[in-house]
Amino acid sequence: MKGIVAGVDIGSTTAKCVILGEDGQILGKSLSAVGVDIVKDAEKALEAALTDARLARSDVSFITGTGYGRYKVYFGQLVVTEISCHARGAHFLFPKTRLVVDIGGQDTKAIRIDEKGDVVDFAMNDKCAAGTGRFLEVCANALGYDVGEIGPLSLAAQRPLKVTSTCTVFAESEVTSYLSRGKDPKDILAGLHSSIANRTLSLMQRVGVEPEITFTGGVSQNEGMVRALSRRVGSPVNVSPLSQFLGALGAALHGRERLPGGAS
Amino acid sequence: MGTPTPSSATPSAAFLRDARALQRKLVEEYYAGLDPARTPRRPVAYMLVGGNLAEIVRSFGYEVVFPEIVALTCAIKHQSLDNILHAESLGYGLDVCGYVKSDLGLQDRGGETSFGRIPRPDLLVCSFSGCYVYVKWWEALAESYGAPLFLFDVPYMREESPRKEDIDYLVSQLWEFIRLLEKRTGRSFDMNELKRVLAESRRAEEGWAEFLQAGRLRPSPIEAYFESIFYMFPINVLRGTPEAADFYRVVNEEVRTRVREGILPLPQEKFRVLVEGVPPYTNYRMFWDFFRKWGAVSVVATYPKVGGLFDRGFRHDPSRPLESIAEYSLGAYVNQSWPLRRQIIADYVREYQVDATVIHGIKSCRSFTAGQGDLRDWLIHERGVPTLYIESDHQDPRYFAPAQIKNRMDAFFESLEHHRATAGASPGSPP
Repeated sequence: MKGIVAGVDIGSTTAKCVILGEDGQILGKSLSAVGVDIVKDAEKALEAALTDARLARSDVSFITGTGYGRYKVYFGQLVVTEISCHARGAHFLFPKTRLVVDIGGQDTKAIRIDEKGDVVDFAMNDKCAAGTGRFLEVCANALGYDVGEIGPLSLAAQRPLKVTSTCTVFAESEVTSYLSRGKDPKDILAGLHSSIANRTLSLMQRVGVEPEITFTGGVSQNEGMVRALSRRVGSPVNVSPLSQFLGALGAALHGRERLPGGAS
Repeated sequence: MGTPTPSSATPSAAFLRDARALQRKLVEEYYAGLDPARTPRRPVAYMLVGGNLAEIVRSFGYEVVFPEIVALTCAIKHQSLDNILHAESLGYGLDVCGYVKSDLGLQDRGGETSFGRIPRPDLLVCSFSGCYVYVKWWEALAESYGAPLFLFDVPYMREESPRKEDIDYLVSQLWEFIRLLEKRTGRSFDMNELKRVLAESRRAEEGWAEFLQAGRLRPSPIEAYFESIFYMFPINVLRGTPEAADFYRVVNEEVRTRVREGILPLPQEKFRVLVEGVPPYTNYRMFWDFFRKWGAVSVVATYPKVGGLFDRGFRHDPSRPLESIAEYSLGAYVNQSWPLRRQIIADYVREYQVDATVIHGIKSCRSFTAGQGDLRDWLIHERGVPTLYIESDHQDPRYFAPAQIKNRMDAFFESLEHHRATAGASPGSPP
């Protein structure tokens, strides 16, 4: 027996939910900000995805929680770390993936996977959110932009500047300093993206850089970051409009395996 | 993959019985005996655990205090941060060793702990096998207390067996140390007394080694990291006393009972784990829970060997007193080069049928931690052993990030579990 499954990914800044149909098609999804009540956020994420899919809760056979808030998905039957979920989600969309790079709100992860989409090794940023989505957001704010605007702007840079990646607060000061010296924001932004790419490459090298590389997480929607990363790695990286949902998708896929006769 | 309410996390109620109670009693008695108000007062020598010279000072009637153990006891009782903050207010930087700051902060605040008052030293013995920061620590204590400092210079080990020149060098220093002790105490050196103390040490070492080697059984009747940390106290602090030797008789009797009655650290031993590195004492029980949740039992660990590699055969030898003390100091775990440490770990993986390794690096100790990143890569790529590296600190609770550590451990064990379920992976195969 197969059934409709859901994956709920409660990250540090956003909640994502994916409803997966019996044949593996995405029936619905949702994306919302995470507040102080994670339990409610998880409920809302599921309800929004069900609405998107035009389904009722009773139509869903199995729910899996993932992300930092995974233990708050009380209505789920399974919890899986986002590391395993991003691996599975990336493999589902790009089956030749061997390295997943996930840059989220406060985490950057490099996950090496095998041909089945199972985790072989992983490395994550430690103790500090420098080089993550939050880092970009803080610097974007310092420049007076919304985080969604900065990727395309960085691509128009003429003379990219160097920006530190060791500390979000120091980077913000550096951005302010460049601005006060009359530097072009586009050049500053290109420097920011490049510094994150360098920091991410270090994590990738810890687990081994092997094509294909799939870029997931909220920051993968930033085309400036995609360009900076592929330039730094020296090869193209896979991205999809669904990249931000790959944790939730992977959770749903893990849940599907738990159904009687579920896909392996 | 985990479920929201893990079921296998509770250790057996019968686990940790008489031996744990006796260990507590020994700890209490030891600290009560240190009380400076107690008479007659015995002279106090401060010493480091790795490669220490406890037997020699005991033969002269000294009481031995190990500030590292005082510091870790403070940490496990959640008392280290105040001492660390006090040391930082004295000017010690954020990155200075947690043991150093915890101890110097405590000393400067009068040495008062919830488990007893730590006496001032009459003698400082720095047997700094493998750690050069400790020299500065002991120099600071010497300056603070005006106590004499004996620096025991132990060459770093790059070969498996110690060289004759190294042994001779250390023995010549030991004679120098003995002359100092004679001068300080007004007593003549009694070789027979040293041999008697060494015989007690050897008896404790036999018992401790037997306990550690019980981890080879499948399933393991012992927790070789978390439980061993309790039982390290007698071998490290009381070595050379009859109490230490007698303690391991009780421990091993309990282990034999466990084997007979099927009493295990966890109801089901899902993963046999090797743990490398100093524990996060400030969050020791939470860290243990992260293993229990996944049915992971540490069957072997390197940290309990910091006081001596007795499980690998070393024994103090009363028939070669000073030479065996020299060999002991050279053979301290952190005094081994990385190729030697790697070999020890590779042997453990084989002998204890290890499924995976967890390395806990500590931010403020480079002598133990530097090289662990390479060890991780080596275990994964050269030996095919799934290995997780996580980092916090042994003393400073500010560096323990529960959510991050738990997330890494969950991801590691869930992938091991998944690989085992889908591929029927055998122990030792990579995830």
